[in-house]
Amino acid sequence: MREFPLQAAPVWVDVPLISNQEVYMNIALIKKYHDNMPRQEAWRLAVDCLGKIGLEHIAYKRNPVLTSEERFGVMLLRAAMVRAAMILIVKPFELIPHLNDIQMVTSMLKTIDELYVSCHIYDYQWMQEKYGDL
Amino acid sequence: MKTFWERLGHAAIRMLEDSADTIVFAGRVFVRIFQRKTYSSAMREVLVNQIYFTSVQILPVFIIVSVFFGSLLIGIVFTILKDLGLTEFIGHVLMGLIVTELSPFLTVLLITLRSASAINTEMAVMKVNREMKTLETFRIDIIDYLLAPRVLNGIISIVLLSSLFSIVLLISGILFAKLIFGMNQDVYMNMLIDSTRFSDIIIMFFKCAIYGFFITLIPIRFGLRASHELTSIPVAVSRGMVNVFAAILIIEVLSLLTKLY
Repeated sequence: MREFPLQAAPVWVDVPLISNQEVYMNIALIKKYHDNMPRQEAWRLAVDCLGKIGLEHIAYKRNPVLTSEERFGVMLLRAAMVRAAMILIVKPFELIPHLNDIQMVTSMLKTIDELYVSCHIYDYQWMQEKYGDL
Repeated sequence: MKTFWERLGHAAIRMLEDSADTIVFAGRVFVRIFQRKTYSSAMREVLVNQIYFTSVQILPVFIIVSVFFGSLLIGIVFTILKDLGLTEFIGHVLMGLIVTELSPFLTVLLITLRSASAINTEMAVMKVNREMKTLETFRIDIIDYLLAPRVLNGIISIVLLSSLFSIVLLISGILFAKLIFGMNQDVYMNMLIDSTRFSDIIIMFFKCAIYGFFITLIPIRFGLRASHELTSIPVAVSRGMVNVFAAILIIEVLSLLTKLY
């Protein structure tokens, strides 16, 4: 993160969603703040991105009512909104504790691969078996 | 063991340092309000939402309170003026006391109770939930995104709501002037116009703006002082609110001094 401060986009339990904003606002915030994207355009982008991972129905929900998978998806999309995003997923199984393997995360990443430049996943050594051949 | 004087001295130094910090912080926010880059699309949306929460959502309750409280106030003041034989001073009392002093004061009390406490809690909760860290991580400036829209909203809302309060008071004054003094509408209006000084109105707006600035800035500042523990929220909120009320009294006294000199 120190080497690429402008591109680093963490998906991490320590970087939570803003709880007093709806899901779409959390995703659109980065574009609206850094690129001054108009409200309507940013809303459209956020809803379209949610649609890509099949979560458009949660666009108007807030953080506390989301399931772990939904929360992860939103955090991933938010990270992808950073310009030339270098997504850093830190301990994904802490965000989705009941997940048996990394399959769901990788398929989400594939679905939105045009939105980011690179993605790095960090976890403890002893979690290696959950990652399979990755 | 510390003596009484040492404790008192420490408390005084802490209070002075706190006040100095708040003034420096206020300066930083004030400067940002005038910078164009502050007004990003995200900030503008927060500003519109904040104005809606503070000025629009409160309107029904605010108008009802203004009508009841305003009528009561006008009724009492007019009755006293009549008993004292000071009918010719109605205009001066209305403009000098009720419009320029009581309207901003009552408005700021209502908005402090409703919005300043909410802002204070919101900031403390965000701090506890580490949402401030989220903003920092994505390089979103807290002053630009959280503080500037709330402070601007405070200024705009207090000026508008105080003006509305004054208008409601002056309208109920028409009714009471007729009931108590048998005064017709034209005489009442002429009396008001004769007693209105442009400088008083400017001072009133200026005072409202200062009220609005501080009753949003102080709760934000104390909310941001919360630690990462849930138990720090009530502490941050109660300290913030006590300081807001102290600030309101200080501003009121300073405005009276401005009028005297």
